[in-house]
Amino acid sequence: MTAVEKYLKPEVIRQISRLDLRAQFIVKGFLQGLHASPLQGFSVEFSEHRKYAPGDNPDDIDWLVYAKTDKYYIKKFEAETNLTGYLVMDLSASMAYSYEQELTKFEYSICLAAALCYLMIHQNDPVGLITFGEKIADCLAPKSKRAQIGNILSLLAKLEPREKTNIGNSLNQLAAMLKHSSLVMLFSDLLAEPEEVIASLRRLRHGGHDVILFHVLDQAEVSFPFEGLVELEDPETSETIEVDADAYRSEYLEEIDQFRTLYVRECRQSGIDYVPLDTSMQFDRALTEYLINRRNWG
Amino acid sequence: MGFLTPALLAGAALIAVPIALHLVMRRQPRQLKFPALQFVRKRQEANRRRLNFRHLLLLALRCALIAGFAFALARPTLKGSGLRGKEGAPLAVSLVVDNSLRMQYVHENQTRQEQATKMAQGLLSKLPAGTEVAIVDLSRAASGFVVDLSTAESRLRNLTPESKPRPLEDAVREAIELVTDRVDSRQEVFLFTDLNRTAWNESAVAAINETLASAPEVRLYLVDVGVDEIRNMSLGPLQLRQQTLRPGEPLRLEVPLEVVGLSEAPLVALYLEGSTDQSVKRGQQIVEITPEGLGQATFELGDFPLGTHQGYVQLAASDPLAVDNTRYFTVEVRPPAKVLLLGKEPRDTLFLREALSPSSLDPSVMGQSLPADQASVQFHSASERFADGAKLTLGDYAAVCLLDPPPLSDELWQALADYASEGGGVGLFLGERARASGFNEGTAAQLLPGQLKRKSRYQTYFRPQRLDHPSLAALRPYAESIPWQAYPVFRFWEFDELSGDTYVVARFANNKPALLLRSVGQGRALTFATAVSDPPNPNGREPWNLLTAPDAAWPFVPLMNQFIGYLAQSDSEPLTFEAGETVSLHLPPKERVSSFVLYQPDGQSLRRTLPPGDDTIRISTTRNLGNYRVSSGGATGQLKRGFSVNVPENVSHLQRVDSDSLIEALPAEQVRLARALEDVERYVDIGRSGQEMFPWLITLVALVWGTEHLLANRFYRGTVS
Repeated sequence: MTAVEKYLKPEVIRQISRLDLRAQFIVKGFLQGLHASPLQGFSVEFSEHRKYAPGDNPDDIDWLVYAKTDKYYIKKFEAETNLTGYLVMDLSASMAYSYEQELTKFEYSICLAAALCYLMIHQNDPVGLITFGEKIADCLAPKSKRAQIGNILSLLAKLEPREKTNIGNSLNQLAAMLKHSSLVMLFSDLLAEPEEVIASLRRLRHGGHDVILFHVLDQAEVSFPFEGLVELEDPETSETIEVDADAYRSEYLEEIDQFRTLYVRECRQSGIDYVPLDTSMQFDRALTEYLINRRNWG
Repeated sequence: MGFLTPALLAGAALIAVPIALHLVMRRQPRQLKFPALQFVRKRQEANRRRLNFRHLLLLALRCALIAGFAFALARPTLKGSGLRGKEGAPLAVSLVVDNSLRMQYVHENQTRQEQATKMAQGLLSKLPAGTEVAIVDLSRAASGFVVDLSTAESRLRNLTPESKPRPLEDAVREAIELVTDRVDSRQEVFLFTDLNRTAWNESAVAAINETLASAPEVRLYLVDVGVDEIRNMSLGPLQLRQQTLRPGEPLRLEVPLEVVGLSEAPLVALYLEGSTDQSVKRGQQIVEITPEGLGQATFELGDFPLGTHQGYVQLAASDPLAVDNTRYFTVEVRPPAKVLLLGKEPRDTLFLREALSPSSLDPSVMGQSLPADQASVQFHSASERFADGAKLTLGDYAAVCLLDPPPLSDELWQALADYASEGGGVGLFLGERARASGFNEGTAAQLLPGQLKRKSRYQTYFRPQRLDHPSLAALRPYAESIPWQAYPVFRFWEFDELSGDTYVVARFANNKPALLLRSVGQGRALTFATAVSDPPNPNGREPWNLLTAPDAAWPFVPLMNQFIGYLAQSDSEPLTFEAGETVSLHLPPKERVSSFVLYQPDGQSLRRTLPPGDDTIRISTTRNLGNYRVSSGGATGQLKRGFSVNVPENVSHLQRVDSDSLIEALPAEQVRLARALEDVERYVDIGRSGQEMFPWLITLVALVWGTEHLLANRFYRGTVS
């Protein structure tokens, strides 16, 4: 089974093929003034005709159709951008964690990434891949060719998340690396000090990039399903802590909730899409839901 | 505190198990990878402390659970009462039930004795099989351990009220001695009492204390069945002026009365029992009661025919204690006794005759009859000369008195001796005419108390020291007021060698015998050592004494009446007795019988025989209250007597002792007071096996267990949210 088949299943493709991924801010800039667009290569793709109705912009009347049919039709256009997307994958050892779930956080992230990659290629948008641990590890330049999906997924399939992580540093590095405004899709469990991460996310955002933060946590990390006395070991630092899980559950849930709420608040302030996920959720459904919501916002 | 199965306490050592598990076999935590450790770390310290606390709490609960189980199974008992005895030993129990008449007090439709019996039966039913039980009551009969509990139950059921109870302390002593014999048993005495002050007097408490001190193993439980608020009306002992009446003499009855706790003025009625056993009401009156609750009813009845008459005085209203509402009495009406006075001359007999049957009372002399209450004459006296003595039939007389006899013919002496030995009474009043030579020999010596020695001229006076002899007893009420010195005795006969069967009844002030009694056959001879026939100024000599001085000789009259009454055996003897007293009925010679029938108040009759020659009927079966009749010889027989038996006066004394001070006066470690059956049972439990704490403990253990379970579940198996 190739990496593509493994991570991009036909049912997932069916599910998401009717959707698109638009860059909110870039499209907005395009609509606000075509003539003043600072970017090259924008095109307007014809979508459909419909009858003219009073109030429509007379500029949109398709005079050729009028010439043939003697009726006023308006040309509808579909905006299209040359959106450059970057799939940014966290390679930290914690991403390899799974507790009684089929997929690790990393695999879950790959599935998500694959679907998004497909979507962008399908839109003829170039997609690249960046992985990071304590710093940026691998980088695959964005391309809009169909073969890009295979390239990206085969690279991801080879990777093994076993590094220590420094998300803030890696994102700063990424922000410095990206020349043009791009769509940055970050897949991470964000298990690091949030201040640093938030600061670097702001910086990335400040660089004019559209950021979608897929916060992928294991189901166990969200619900803390352990019972009785447990000794927990951090896979990255090998630090152990002995706790009475039952007694501690509510406090843990409180903590994780605070953590997610912090990111929700910060991301909203910075205009970042924060997508909290856990591995127990159907990733395609979660993604579909997100994309529909995103289109509505746009 | 004690334990029924103390060995099981060793089970408490098992608390080592959870401690060891806690220390040695600490539960190994599950090892898990968990990346989001940063969230755990934040509250790690608080969590660890809480974890430790929970571990310790659970450990403590589990230890408490095991210790509690061991403790509960060892069956601890509270012995707060201090009444500890031989644990597990068989029981020896004495139940003392006060069955005196006082316990017939009715409260809440139950006499105190019924209440006591009921509680005792309740207690019996709680006693384990194999318990040795003795039932002791206040009757005189000795008790012992009964065969089994059902016998004890039946003895309790058959307890009858005892009219002559023995002192409570005697019963308690007997009960304690009974159980003390059972050395290897737990020794317990239950005393069902009304805590009456009369029964629990100081000497009783002291005696019980002494008995308890000698039996330290014995536990005494006082079960109080008394009533605090007393309501009672009672009649006191009847006061009759005379038990024996002469024809025409009225009967005067005084009845003291006491009312406690009741306000109504009581109605008292007098009944006389007729020949057909029917009672006839002969009088009634409402008695006024003083603020102290005292009163007195007085009845006077006349016209009694000769014979024995019985009756009773009764309170018309009923009250809680009925037994003291009736007082019985018996009076006898007898004809005057015939007395023969022998003198040398008729004037010798004058003083004695006037003393015995005053001529002022003789209708034949006075020519008119006197009022009824003055008309009673105790004696009919006849005066004769010595010279005619031998011709007389002495047997017609109840007594014969010789006044200053000279030496008499042997024939007369013999007649007198025969008369005396057949039951007659001979009175000898020695004086001037007596001669030692004529008296100390022959038949006269059979009657005289001893050898005549000489006429003493030493002035003295008659001074009876003790008035307990029947011939003097009637003087007892006036003993202090009789000025014997005022009646000097100038001469009297001294005796030598008193015969063995002589009794000196009274002496002169110089300690010489004055009045001497000698039994002769069935009769008696009474010798007075000085004369009573001298005129105040006899010719040619001094009088022998001034006892008969006409101006102030009043003691002479009762003295002579007593002497002669005793000789004639017509003296008034008591006919009213308290329950349980031995009744003595003296039989005059004519009424002597060999057997008689005793009719008891309850209708039963008993045939009794009298030893030959015995002149007194003695009856000790006087437990029943009421009028008894003694008769012999059928409807027309010689003997028809009777007597009454009344409730003892102290039955009406219902005041109670203060229970607290009573308990204080008794040894605290041996005695407990109970008011209800529950108290008794509790004491029995506590005293016997202690107050068992098992139910409470096992509940506590269950609670601890439940808590442990709940906490353990909560700590280790919380639900996944």
